[in-house]
Amino acid sequence: MRSSEVRLDRLSKEYNRTVAVDDVSLTIEPGHMVALLGPSGCGKTTCLRMIAGLIRPTSGDVFVNDKRMTDVPVHRRNVGMLFQNYALFPHLTVEENIAFGLEMRGISKADAARKVGEALNLVQLSSFGKRYPAQLSGGQQQRVALGRALVIEPAMLLLDEPLGALDKGLRESMQVELRALQRRLGLTTVMVTHDQDEALTMADKIVVMRDGKLEQVGSATEIYQRPASKFVAQFIGASNLFQGPVEQRNGSGAVIRVSPELSLQVDQIPSSASDVMVSIRPEAIVVERAGQSPASQRANSVTARVDQAIYRGFVSHYYLKTPSGGQIIVFEQNQSQQAGLRYAVGEEVVARWESPSNHVIARH
Amino acid sequence: MDERFSGFGAIILYTITAGMMLFILAPLLLVMAVSVSDSYFVTFPPQGFTLKWYAKVLQDRDFLEAMRLSILLALGTTAGSLLFGVPAAFALVRGRFFGLAAIKGFLLSPLIFPALVTGLALLQVLTKLGSQDARLNLLIGHVVVTSPYVIRTVVTSLQLVDENLEDAARTLGANRLTTFWRVTLPQIASGVAAGGLFAFMVSFDNYPVTMWLANSEYSPVPLVLMRQLVNVFDPSVPAMSTIIILMAMVGVLLLEKLVGLRRALAA
Repeated sequence: MRSSEVRLDRLSKEYNRTVAVDDVSLTIEPGHMVALLGPSGCGKTTCLRMIAGLIRPTSGDVFVNDKRMTDVPVHRRNVGMLFQNYALFPHLTVEENIAFGLEMRGISKADAARKVGEALNLVQLSSFGKRYPAQLSGGQQQRVALGRALVIEPAMLLLDEPLGALDKGLRESMQVELRALQRRLGLTTVMVTHDQDEALTMADKIVVMRDGKLEQVGSATEIYQRPASKFVAQFIGASNLFQGPVEQRNGSGAVIRVSPELSLQVDQIPSSASDVMVSIRPEAIVVERAGQSPASQRANSVTARVDQAIYRGFVSHYYLKTPSGGQIIVFEQNQSQQAGLRYAVGEEVVARWESPSNHVIARH
Repeated sequence: MDERFSGFGAIILYTITAGMMLFILAPLLLVMAVSVSDSYFVTFPPQGFTLKWYAKVLQDRDFLEAMRLSILLALGTTAGSLLFGVPAAFALVRGRFFGLAAIKGFLLSPLIFPALVTGLALLQVLTKLGSQDARLNLLIGHVVVTSPYVIRTVVTSLQLVDENLEDAARTLGANRLTTFWRVTLPQIASGVAAGGLFAFMVSFDNYPVTMWLANSEYSPVPLVLMRQLVNVFDPSVPAMSTIIILMAMVGVLLLEKLVGLRRALAA
């Protein structure tokens, strides 16, 4: 299957003066899977539908392999699209659903039948061809929709919250499966999701959107480890966010004073910064019993009291309160032989972490 | 029996339902009973049993001519109101344009205005326009009166159709027209059928608009029936009525079978 490059050039969409998508430029490399991630109303679905041709942009253009697609009607764009509610034609059988796109392309009955058979094989539903969509489970329906989208050999695959209606276990296995299939076919794919796990699991590149604008574009690791803004730090995973003035510079780094009992050593800081925001991921923090390490005066270390402790199977969550009232969230990996929580509510502990875990947020 | 319908509540419910059924059906049954009465006047209870009134009616040239006209008119009206009403309903549900609510109100307005007034207004307009053909005038008048029924039923069923189905069809290569025929129409078939049936029946027994637009040459069934009623009120009038009642029943049952069948397939 051919791979296409998809390029959005200053794409905007306004509805009655409210801006749904605001000047979005983005290049999706051939064969890549890109996730548009953001809260509802951030413009990600509008973006996807403009790529599909279902919505006409107010300004800007969509290019596929450098060919301007903005004026090409949706039925000539050759895109495969999956919808959250599957959108299977209820009055047609599974086979007829899959054959629909082939029929629109005027492919002969014999060829169509062969291709439908191959598509059914691909999505592992060979024995379901004669059934109607209502007789299938949600997961099976989405497989049919996938077969229907792939059988037309689309230039790209567009996924609109495709797994949102499935329950957790099935959703996770479908994520892995869909990703494997997409890689194998080398099909350029754009996915819309509000589920950060889905984006992290499936995408080569994550595009975080907010209020119609691009907030950050990067790989899963980049987005997670080096969030560009407070919004991204809070939207992707959990973050401890601290803010304070630069107390003392040392080389390219500096000491940030957050509160009387907590200072942070950051290794990289812009020379112009005087007041900065720092994010620390909860799993980067180590908790120890107070007294074991007489910390406090060191940077990246604070004495605190356990305010809440939650056992969640492979991980425990601790919510700590510092003497000045600040909250620190810690995720601690549980060991297989461990008997429940390691620290009790009310216990005094020391939280500490390494300075590379301090990530300075540029925009806040 | 279902638990929800038991005890005192059920008795009341069944009594009311039976009462309503009687209220609706009794006059029709009465008409049917009188139509086989072996007497020269309409009397109740009917005396004896005869089918001679049917024989008379079915040989009555005026009645047969009126039947022919009414059926053709109703068929034409059904086609016309579907042709006009289905696209209108589509625009009302899928469209997003200025004045949508006002247009919706306007299109449904013949349901609200007295048909008598609509008929008179149409007569004046059509006369001004110089439209002399009573058949054409009747067709226009009936389409005006019946379109709101089609629009209403189709709007209702269109609102239940998932727009994503249409989007999916379009991404798969279907243009808007093909999408409508292949995807949307099968979903709203029951609404279209119901609207069509309404249009047919409303046209078939419409008196107030027909009265204005018909002439002596082209008189549909309701007018002939009325004339007959005024002249000689013998059991041939109930016989004509019974024929119409039976026709309506067959129509409804046929459609239910047809649309019901299609629904069963889709479910």
